[in-house]
Amino acid sequence: MKQSLYLAYCYLVYHRFRSLVLVTAIGLIIFLPIGLEKLISDSEKEMMARAEAFPLIIGAKGSSTDLVINAIYFQQQEMEQLNMEVGKQLDKTNLGHSIPLLTIFKSRNFPIIGTSIDYFEFRKLEIAEGKNLQLVGECIIGSSVSEQLNLSPGDSLVSSPENYFDMAGVYPLKMKIVGVLKASGSADDKAVFTDLKTNWIIMGLGHGHQDVVDLKDPTLVMQSDSSNVRTTAKLFMYNEIDGENMDSFHFHGDTDSYPVSAFIFVSNNEKSSTILRGRFVSGELPDQVVVPVKVVEHLLQSIFRIKYIFNTVFVLVGVATLLILVLIVTLSLRLRKDEIHTMFTMGSSRHKTFEILGLELLILVFLSTVVAGILYLITGYFVDDFIRYFIL
Amino acid sequence: MKKSLNVLLILSLILSACENANKKQKATNPDQKLKVFTVNYPLYYFAERIGDEFIDLIYPIPNDVDPAYWVPTQSLEDIQSCDIILANGADYAKWMGKVSLPSAKVVNTSEAFTESFIKIEEGSTHSHGASGEHVHYGYAFTTWLDFKIALGQAEAIKDAFIEKLPKHKAAISENFDELKSELTELDKSMVSIGNELQGQTLFASHPVYQYLAQAYGLDIISEHWEPGEMPDDKQWDDFKHNLDHNVSNFMLWEGEPGQDIKNSLKSLDITTIVFVPCSNKPKASNFMEIMRENVKNMMAVISADMK
Repeated sequence: MKQSLYLAYCYLVYHRFRSLVLVTAIGLIIFLPIGLEKLISDSEKEMMARAEAFPLIIGAKGSSTDLVINAIYFQQQEMEQLNMEVGKQLDKTNLGHSIPLLTIFKSRNFPIIGTSIDYFEFRKLEIAEGKNLQLVGECIIGSSVSEQLNLSPGDSLVSSPENYFDMAGVYPLKMKIVGVLKASGSADDKAVFTDLKTNWIIMGLGHGHQDVVDLKDPTLVMQSDSSNVRTTAKLFMYNEIDGENMDSFHFHGDTDSYPVSAFIFVSNNEKSSTILRGRFVSGELPDQVVVPVKVVEHLLQSIFRIKYIFNTVFVLVGVATLLILVLIVTLSLRLRKDEIHTMFTMGSSRHKTFEILGLELLILVFLSTVVAGILYLITGYFVDDFIRYFIL
Repeated sequence: MKKSLNVLLILSLILSACENANKKQKATNPDQKLKVFTVNYPLYYFAERIGDEFIDLIYPIPNDVDPAYWVPTQSLEDIQSCDIILANGADYAKWMGKVSLPSAKVVNTSEAFTESFIKIEEGSTHSHGASGEHVHYGYAFTTWLDFKIALGQAEAIKDAFIEKLPKHKAAISENFDELKSELTELDKSMVSIGNELQGQTLFASHPVYQYLAQAYGLDIISEHWEPGEMPDDKQWDDFKHNLDHNVSNFMLWEGEPGQDIKNSLKSLDITTIVFVPCSNKPKASNFMEIMRENVKNMMAVISADMK
């Protein structure tokens, strides 16, 4: 047996290119259905786990799928905004409390999530390094952001401008990183969290500038009289909030009218949740309320219908590959007719000869299974990308 | 083998017992004291009276600082960890708008009175960028000097405590009722003072009595004078100019003014009345006693003037 195994091994090594092609082909055929199954089931699990963690989402009327994708997976979609007043109305119901989310901006391709520190408690997110948000202008980054951008507390991140061609638009804000979240295996790892007010400053709704009444540089003043000071465009607007200029930051208008993308509603209990949903259905409360689990289930059902088509394709491809394999083995036996004859002449029994050939095949199948196993394990790392590119 | 299995079994039993005990401890949270932060002393006093032994009050504001302009530095983490954060509303303590607070725990005690808020201009009109000419507005914030608003703020505190400690509803309500009757008494006294002062103008050393004026129909003109600092000539000239146009015999002071100021006012036939807004913790006494003293001071001066 040992000798047969050695001879089979030597044969495969000698024909290494052919062996490699066969191992790869068989490996891929074994991997494809199980790999896809893993991608689908892991994605389903991950998406459902995230959806289950969010009880109710309140957003502007429109696509419920866009609302959920935006609010819980932070995949920024163009959607209508609510305002802060809606959150106050929700809180006044005494059925639970709302947590605002503003998901418009990005920083180095990671979404900036404006929220309140209630979010971290609600999601049970812990700080791995640094501290929690305390002042406007600060941010906390997810573990993946920290890893990929090599950032830690004390560093800073700049918000990306909304429009690169709008030179006179809102200035990007340089945010101070004060903490890094512990990895949670969710969208939170790939986000930059700030206080909602910081996001409003990024939007230009709040800003800080030199004191216009106490300007020393005459080139900053366009016109000044007892009732009004008109400044030139040279007036310095702060693009970073620190202890010294903090007092100069202010908001124009009523902050209750300021935009919010969605609210997470944490109800007191199941009954409160039902009552609140009833108020939206009856029109007592405008806008829309969605149960993320239901929206995600519906989304997955539609998308995973394609899974059955793939499975059928893989079975057919598998059968075809098996037939090709049989053909390859048969043709290979015919090609090796002289070699087999030599083995018989040298005194090898028929049984021994077929043992060597059988072991060759077995080694090929074994190596193919190993390849499929490795690919299967690697698949786990692509679940997030699969979700991002094929589902959301 | 059997022995080690037994050890494992015992260990797992101990661990599960510990876990259960932990869970039970978490479930018995209602018995724990509420950690409450208040943004100024009047709210501290109301919370202390209403919450009594069921709460632990956090008040890191030093005595010599006006709580409206105090900014937390080291204590912010402690404030964030409170179960209830009692805000005054009406733009009081602007730092609250520049820090991250758990909004679910912040109780705006004057939210029911937003219609009564007094809007004031902050700074001069200015323009920059594309925003055009604008002036920043704020609100007068010594809301508790209208004792009806003060009562409303106390009621908001009561409701917040009952929501968190439903088990102690009866005791909390009883504490509130006591405070309510005292605040109502103060309100009644101020109403009668307001009636006595109809048609009279009062001067005030600082613009802090807006709600007192609004609630009790007082006509108050505010200066920007400090009790321990003699106003300069320009301030006196402005004051005399105002006095020419508004006949008045009284001036409200946040604290006892210096004797020289008192004498100068006396020469203008102005009597000083100390009415302490009590926004920060007094060294001695308490909010209710100080407010009673304020009312008594006003009553005494008015009665003397009548005679």
